[in-house]
Amino acid sequence: MKRRLALVAGLRMAAEALACGETLGQDARRIEQPAYVLAWVSAPAPVPVGRHFAIDFVLCPRDGAPLPAEVRVDATMPEHKHGMNYRPSVSARGAGVYRAEGLLFHMPGRWELVFELRGSGAPLRLAQSLQVG
Amino acid sequence: MRLRAALGLLAALLSGGAGTQPLDSALDDEHIPRILAFGPWPPPPVRDPSNRASGEPAAIAFGAALFGDARLSRDGSVSCASCHQPARGFSDGLPRAMGLQPGIRNTLGLHNLGGQRWFGWDGANDNLWAQSLRPLLDEREMGSSLAQVAHTVRSQPDLREGYRRAFGQPPDADDERVAVDIAKVLAAWQETLVTPRTPFDDFRDAVARGDRLAAAAYPAAAQRGLALFLGRGRCYVCHGGPTFSNGEFADIGMPFFIGRGQVDPGRHGGIQALQRSRWNLLGLFNDDPARSTATSTRHVVMEHRHFGEFKVPGLRNLARTAPYMHDGSLKTLREVLRHYSELDENRLHTDGEAILVPLRLSEQETEDLLAFLDSLNDPPAPRQ
Repeated sequence: MKRRLALVAGLRMAAEALACGETLGQDARRIEQPAYVLAWVSAPAPVPVGRHFAIDFVLCPRDGAPLPAEVRVDATMPEHKHGMNYRPSVSARGAGVYRAEGLLFHMPGRWELVFELRGSGAPLRLAQSLQVG
Repeated sequence: MRLRAALGLLAALLSGGAGTQPLDSALDDEHIPRILAFGPWPPPPVRDPSNRASGEPAAIAFGAALFGDARLSRDGSVSCASCHQPARGFSDGLPRAMGLQPGIRNTLGLHNLGGQRWFGWDGANDNLWAQSLRPLLDEREMGSSLAQVAHTVRSQPDLREGYRRAFGQPPDADDERVAVDIAKVLAAWQETLVTPRTPFDDFRDAVARGDRLAAAAYPAAAQRGLALFLGRGRCYVCHGGPTFSNGEFADIGMPFFIGRGQVDPGRHGGIQALQRSRWNLLGLFNDDPARSTATSTRHVVMEHRHFGEFKVPGLRNLARTAPYMHDGSLKTLREVLRHYSELDENRLHTDGEAILVPLRLSEQETEDLLAFLDSLNDPPAPRQ
């Protein structure tokens, strides 16, 4: 019985994750954490090197988690020990929908894209690694 | 998409195939996307929406004439062309610029400026017209003023007529507006300065269309140099894209002392100057109400690591713009390669870029890289 319940819960979470950001299209990438699913796409896609791009993303709280008061977006190149030369601006468009503008990856290679959810507690970091160029 | 057709073919292309001499190629299929990213060349012309003179034939013609006109300087002795000499790739052949007074940096060439994000070694300007206004007003360069430039244009009949043709009306009483407009016609002309196609571009396009004979014509030494540029050297990480520059800034271990107790802060100072400027893309003189090209200016961030960083220069027609680096301290491309070969890691910030390591180039590798860089000139330049 316990195993069945766990399976159902797992399937429900997977369905939730897939449903999150479905308006972004089938190319949306997702980051899952216990309290949130975040789905994002870049504009233009794929993420270019040497040109500005924006990120449209949807944040889906799980199990009654609140939407954060603020979301910050940043990116670093861990191998090179540096970040971007630009600080993206994030605008909230309601119902967990956001747009980040002003990103620019000035080098090809592996970047780590970070979404930082800020509210009353400690910031929560949702990160995803991606190879560009 | 030609890429798929090219994949799997590079080895065959570079081996020359039947009836051609096999080449000693270090290139393989993994290099193809990076090779294709260096083109196509030339890029399509793009108008600068921040400059209403951009792409306008009358403005371009006026800008070409003004470029060689010393009347725009304080004492009538110096023009833009005094330092930006066409035969030298629009640089001057000197380590550091010499206008009305000695400068502190090497004169940058003026080719392939259209569409860039930042201008100058420190990127203190986000548009070409502001960058063109700077030397007119800099005491060390042409030493003029907004009022003097505007007065000269209003009072000289040929300049007044050139302005009227470019903008459809004569210069008005607003000195700043007239001087900025003069910078805008200078920018409109400079946007047309595009380096011609090179042997590398022929090779790149041959790879794109799977043309075996044309690709095999690219010299073997240049192929080896290109493989090093894309491989162990990792040069493409900063020198990427059709101009062979990512348009950003880097500290590559060059000295930034410019005299006793004086330091050139490079990009750090450039960002400060940009944000102070009345003529940046967020200001009143941007002709584009939507500020559609101001994304970089809105989002640029200044951090301590930008101290001592300088613009990553493009590599096209490099042979004509010696000496090299922001301080003009390296006379030849061979010296530049020696710098990267013997890089002083202690000079670089220990918490800085992890990408730069001494390349320890062999004599053969140095020759191969020089052969590759030669192939970015048109015509190929004599070896230094």
